[in-house]
Amino acid sequence: MTARRRPADRLVRSYVVTDGRAHPTRNTLDLVTLLVVTDDLPLTGLNPEKRRLMELCRPGALSVAEVAGHLSLPVSVAKVLIADLMDSGHLITRAPIPAARPTDARILQEVLDGLRARL
Amino acid sequence: MTDQIPEAVFWCLALGLFAVTVLLVRQHGITARQRRRNEELAHGLRARDTELRHLLTVRLPEVEDAADRTAPQTDLLDTGLADTDFAACLDEVLDRFAAAVEHAEARADESAKAAVKASMRSIQALANEQQVSIAEMQDRHDHPDVLRDLLEVDHTNAQFGRRAQAIAVLCGSWPGRQRATSALIEVVRGATSRIRDYRRIRINGEVDIAVQSRAVEPVVLAVAELLDNAARHSQPHTTVEVTIQTVHNGACVVIDDAGVGMDGQAVDHADELLSGRRTMDVTRLGDPPRFGFAVIGALAERYGFSVSAGTLSPYGGVRAVVFLPTGLLTHLETVQDAAPTATASEPGPTRYSAPEPTAARNSTPVRARASETAPARTAGHAPAPDRVPGPPPAVEPTSPAASTVETTPRSTAPSALAPGESTTAGGLPKRRRRSLREAAEKPAAVPTVEVGGRSAEENARRMGAFARGTRSGRTAQSTPYEDEGNRHE
Repeated sequence: MTARRRPADRLVRSYVVTDGRAHPTRNTLDLVTLLVVTDDLPLTGLNPEKRRLMELCRPGALSVAEVAGHLSLPVSVAKVLIADLMDSGHLITRAPIPAARPTDARILQEVLDGLRARL
Repeated sequence: MTDQIPEAVFWCLALGLFAVTVLLVRQHGITARQRRRNEELAHGLRARDTELRHLLTVRLPEVEDAADRTAPQTDLLDTGLADTDFAACLDEVLDRFAAAVEHAEARADESAKAAVKASMRSIQALANEQQVSIAEMQDRHDHPDVLRDLLEVDHTNAQFGRRAQAIAVLCGSWPGRQRATSALIEVVRGATSRIRDYRRIRINGEVDIAVQSRAVEPVVLAVAELLDNAARHSQPHTTVEVTIQTVHNGACVVIDDAGVGMDGQAVDHADELLSGRRTMDVTRLGDPPRFGFAVIGALAERYGFSVSAGTLSPYGGVRAVVFLPTGLLTHLETVQDAAPTATASEPGPTRYSAPEPTAARNSTPVRARASETAPARTAGHAPAPDRVPGPPPAVEPTSPAASTVETTPRSTAPSALAPGESTTAGGLPKRRRRSLREAAEKPAAVPTVEVGGRSAEENARRMGAFARGTRSGRTAQSTPYEDEGNRHE
């Protein structure tokens, strides 16, 4: 449907992208971890995929799954790259926005009252 | 009277003696001449014998072994025989023999090539199939240990595919894969992917040059063979430096190794093979077969790039230079710009009667665009119009397909979409990331946007109502907490 080739047809194979590594340096990443670019570290010395990743994340937060999709790389390969970029300080992660956690019913009740009063 | 008899006898005897002497002398002369002639004849015979033996032991094997039948062969041993019928006959024998050998070899080579080519084709197909399934497995399995094993398998498979491809090319087949126009650095990294010691390759140089689709696979294959040679003939702890640079008439990939280097004879041999002038046959690859340079030579000649490997590298090894002429290259920006536009407007040809058959082929929009805009770029024109959002597409009259492609998204979705992030092929809007920066840059654009026929205020009101309802429902029921997401630090 789209012009993008199948990932199987990639010219540059995954082991070249990760320089032969399969284990990310940290295992705190999963599909929905949000990636945020820390400001203005130079991109010199990064391989093209990492550079592309940084460019993808620069406009705003992007999840690991989305990054992998845009780079048309397997998620586990993308994780290796992301972990490297986190080590070098180019990226920071933010946990996904958590599910609502109603800890204190009283506060919620107050918020609700306040909202009702306003609307 | 009687005293005259002895005198007469004497004279008779004298006369007889004289006659005998004369006869003897003549006989002697004749004998000597005869002997000389005999000797000459014997010599001639010996010379012909030797010549025949020479033909059998030296000249015929030479013809048999010579790869090039037109090369000067060893001459007659005895120059005295040069203009004789005998020599002419010998030459005739030699020619006939050469023709017969050539014919037989050509037939053998042809059938060997056909057999090898067919089997390599099927091996190549299997390697490709395996590569697809390995890639799918990489997508499917998330565990690093599994990925590590898959990467290893993938690596081996890539080398295996390259070998099959190289032999197939040597047998006169095409490199096999059709690829999209790719950046030169990707091409070199693609070549790196196919060799054993890929981690020793260092790629330097940044150029925004891309290789045209038809040349991608051949260049990948040629560079891979050079890299493989470089890595194979140098110490395992040394690196192989690859430098990419643009030159006046195209681009160069320079490969320097710190290996053993080549002596003069090897350089001559390599030059001969790399030039592609000498057709290499599969029966002459040696044992173990060395076909790297022959493959490169065949590819270079067929696709019009050139490779030289004669010079000494700064690290003491071999410096190999791949020169890609401008005809095989295109600009990288053209490719990148063409990709989203073509993606966004693929239904175009079905809705609009596209004038060009190339535009109707959905599988090759990028290539078609790249080749259309490439001449304009290389000729030094202004940037291609697809980079500028404002001006009408009619500014480039030379490419009707491009203008059709350009108008398609704009006429269907007038003002809602920015040029960078239009719709997918199915007509769905693409997700746009929230960003503080972008929001701050263009605040005025937001209220005018209408989604689904409702204004932004209407949407906000509905969302607010939804949020209120949800909240009140939750507090009323006090649903137990469920952690749906994954935990993070």
